[in-house]
Amino acid sequence: MNSDNFSPHRCLRVFALLLCALFAWPAVAQNGVDFARQAVQIAMTGEPRNLNSIRATDQLSIFYLEHVKEGLLRKNARNELVGGVAERWEMEGTHAKFWLRRNAMWSDGKPVTAHDFVFAWRQVVNPEVAAEYASIMYPVKNAEAINAGKMPLEALGVRAIDDYTLEVELEAPTGYFLALTSFMIYYPVREDFYKAQNGRYFADVENMIFNGPFKITRWVHGASLRMEKNPTYWDADSVTLNVIDTPYMTPDSKARFNLFKDGKLAVENGLQGLEAEELRDALANRMRIHSHSDGTVFYVEFNHRPGRVTGNTNLRKAMQAVFDSQELVYKVIGIAGYIPGRSLFPVYMNGVNDKFRIEYPVPQPELNLEKARQHLELAKQELGVDEIPPLAILCDDREIAILQAQYFQALFKRTLGLDIKVDSQTFKQRLDKSQNGNFDLILTGWGPDYEDPMTFGDLFASWNVNNKGRYSSPVYDSFVRTAQGTSDQQIRMDAMGRMQTHLIEEAVILPSYERVANVVQDPRLVGVMFKQTGASMVLTYARVVE
Amino acid sequence: MSLNTPEFSASDFAPAPNLVAAERIVRPSLSYWQDAWLRLKKNRRALCSLYIVIALLLFTLLGPVIWRQDPALQDLDAISQGPTLGTRAIVVEDPGNWEGVRGEPAPLPPGGTLGAPTLRVEGIATTQYVRLVWSMVPGAQQYLIYRNDHAPESDQDLGLPLGTTLSPDELSFEDRLQLRPQRYWYTVIASDGVEEAAEHTTIEVSPQRAITVSQARERELDDTVGATVDLPAHPFGTDYLGRDLLARLMEGARVSLFIGIVAPLLFVLVGVIYGGISGYFGGNVDIVMMRVADFVIALPFLLFMILFRISFGIGPGESGIFPMLLALVLLRWPDTARLVRGQVLQLRGEAYVQAARVLGAQPGYLIFRHLLPNTMGPILVTLTFAIPMAIFTEAFLSFIGMGVSPPTPSWGSMSNEGIRTMLSSPHELLFPSIFISVTVLAFNMLGDGLRDALDSRMRSRE
Repeated sequence: MNSDNFSPHRCLRVFALLLCALFAWPAVAQNGVDFARQAVQIAMTGEPRNLNSIRATDQLSIFYLEHVKEGLLRKNARNELVGGVAERWEMEGTHAKFWLRRNAMWSDGKPVTAHDFVFAWRQVVNPEVAAEYASIMYPVKNAEAINAGKMPLEALGVRAIDDYTLEVELEAPTGYFLALTSFMIYYPVREDFYKAQNGRYFADVENMIFNGPFKITRWVHGASLRMEKNPTYWDADSVTLNVIDTPYMTPDSKARFNLFKDGKLAVENGLQGLEAEELRDALANRMRIHSHSDGTVFYVEFNHRPGRVTGNTNLRKAMQAVFDSQELVYKVIGIAGYIPGRSLFPVYMNGVNDKFRIEYPVPQPELNLEKARQHLELAKQELGVDEIPPLAILCDDREIAILQAQYFQALFKRTLGLDIKVDSQTFKQRLDKSQNGNFDLILTGWGPDYEDPMTFGDLFASWNVNNKGRYSSPVYDSFVRTAQGTSDQQIRMDAMGRMQTHLIEEAVILPSYERVANVVQDPRLVGVMFKQTGASMVLTYARVVE
Repeated sequence: MSLNTPEFSASDFAPAPNLVAAERIVRPSLSYWQDAWLRLKKNRRALCSLYIVIALLLFTLLGPVIWRQDPALQDLDAISQGPTLGTRAIVVEDPGNWEGVRGEPAPLPPGGTLGAPTLRVEGIATTQYVRLVWSMVPGAQQYLIYRNDHAPESDQDLGLPLGTTLSPDELSFEDRLQLRPQRYWYTVIASDGVEEAAEHTTIEVSPQRAITVSQARERELDDTVGATVDLPAHPFGTDYLGRDLLARLMEGARVSLFIGIVAPLLFVLVGVIYGGISGYFGGNVDIVMMRVADFVIALPFLLFMILFRISFGIGPGESGIFPMLLALVLLRWPDTARLVRGQVLQLRGEAYVQAARVLGAQPGYLIFRHLLPNTMGPILVTLTFAIPMAIFTEAFLSFIGMGVSPPTPSWGSMSNEGIRTMLSSPHELLFPSIFISVTVLAFNMLGDGLRDALDSRMRSRE
């Protein structure tokens, strides 16, 4: 044996390694929930891409930001809008005024002031910053013009009257503006701290400053992230959890699910829901599965650009009359909880006094093969063709999308004799093609940016860049303008009810389903909040019970 | 002294009998091919493979004539069904728009807690729909409906969350989520919008297999409600869209075997001609031609496949079979060419070739009349080995989505689709992959047997 194996140097190294392992071990071998320490462990698909609240876009960043920062308003444990940094507020027409709490602090002990909001909001619409979510700031006066580079930053309709009073001027009466102020791009950013980081704001723990219920205390990039209770948070008394640790970051859903099975995680997968296979595994392992709507509505969008046959209303109506979203959801997709699509506006949206969909029932198009064929004949006459040319259905390359595309392909072939080509692309590629209008039909979806049916309603306004099929109807546009021009809820909702009817009657889209996320959760963890806008899971008011 | 001379008789001097008869060839004279066939017949493995290959060809060509199910027909009630030999189902009303049951919600009595509703099934439970109706629970804002495929053991073991009612007056739920004729346990829990009730009700339901009236009409079956009808058999089960796997395997075999046979035939032909010319002329011609072959070998197949796809303007959703064929033919011939060249180089020094040349035979005549027929053995062997390679390439390319486009199946694309349901319905992956494996193995072993049978040098060792 080589004597080198026993050299004191080597022994020391082995000893040091063992020592390291000994100290590192407890950090990894924690349980998913810890009652005594009020600590929970979660896993994520990866690390947050950008925690700078001005520029963040991805779900993971939104999740962490909602725990470590707070806007003027926030959501409480019952998912109701309550005061955050703002103590009280007044809103009238296009004027809004917020009075800030004097005990709202940054984690370095300095108070959160109205100037922090003014600075942050100006940065969001700053064309040089090019924040992707800048359009959410557009209800604020001049935001759109500033973002387009046509006005100086100072023209933005927000003003600090003094340190604790913030005045906001809106472009038009916006009923949902208060709800918007709980969204991350409306969070305060302190100018002196932001500038001192030299562009590394929130890039690492030492570049961060918090005003929310938690603070990030450790971030090993690509590996783990740890949040601890923020003692300087003004409402720290209502926060029970001391630690939210993310010791595992892996895109492998199977691996995360196995960690949950081993008791290493408190909840899985709170942000996106379990995949079909993990769902089966959970069922076989007798776990309690919770489901909650993640807010996204999926539908088939047609290309309405000139020259596309899908611009023909009769052709779309023919397809509408043979498509049964219940069959698609219950038989083809087969994931528990998915709601068959009927409308662009999802079931959880609120109307004036009740749920929007209860106040404004959706007209149900009749499933009728005879009528569908009549529509098809009319379409052929109007288009002046003997045969409808082959149509391309654009979808991404996920299994669920290809499955649906194949279902539509067979359905339209069997019932209407239409030839459909499946154009399956990677997510990015699909986005490119949809923006360039390179499709006839597209399987797409939309998640709400704020809690008002308008987040869906203005999708088909002729000027909306997300109107990928370029649907353009003066009637529909007038409904959108009516709803955007007033803060009277009754008038707004009536207009949106008419949008809903218009979309179905003109067969602008074929609603296919509303998605839910199925999650498994340690029974000792209670009070986890799931919502449709912003972060889909919030642990702020969660606690561990015995 | 006497001379011991042998005694001769006159018969000793008679002419010997004609011995030509002794030299008569007793066994029939065998041509090269007859001999090869005889020896192939002795090789049981090779013979077995030959039968499998013939069976596969019959499966592909005659199969669809006998098994007349449409491979593109989606039976959405038989999604991912295991192998069955025909099932019976009853005919039920279309689900239509069941109104459901509504009741006036009552407030929670002061100090009371949410209770558990009483639960029952409306009408008969079928695989088309199970209609649950329950009693109103005072204070409930919504109800959560769960379905399990085993008896719940605890409050945590309730199964799949099927849905939540929208408004407090809804007291019913229609479950249509991929129901199968098996036992289910349904649970309904009342909730005040935030907290769930501590108690819940569970009932056991066994849905009967059923199809709806309109489905019966579409399939031209008896469409009276309550009638019993026979559903088609699926001996290999169905796939994730309820398409018959046997019919799809037959159609998929066409693509797989088309590529598997046409591509090798073409590139072996190219290789034979190229190698024959190169070997016959030798010298500088040979050097140049072989360097070209080396160059072609170095070209990456997948890259060229993609390039051809693009340059032919094959859009997404269109079949990529032609560029695949072209890429195979253009890039895979050098192997055969090298082999044939080696053989020809060896043979052209043989005496009979020299003799023919002296007699004035032209190169073309020499190559095609004398040299190539004598390399037929190795060529055939290469061909049989190239077939499984091509089948496998097609399977691989379709597996990564570069081959056929839906709904056209091929064994490779079917395996790809089967992988995602590997654990829950393994037959979707198993059958196409067995077909690929058996075909590749059969062609390989047949090639092995042919090599032994056609190699004349093997004869001396017997």
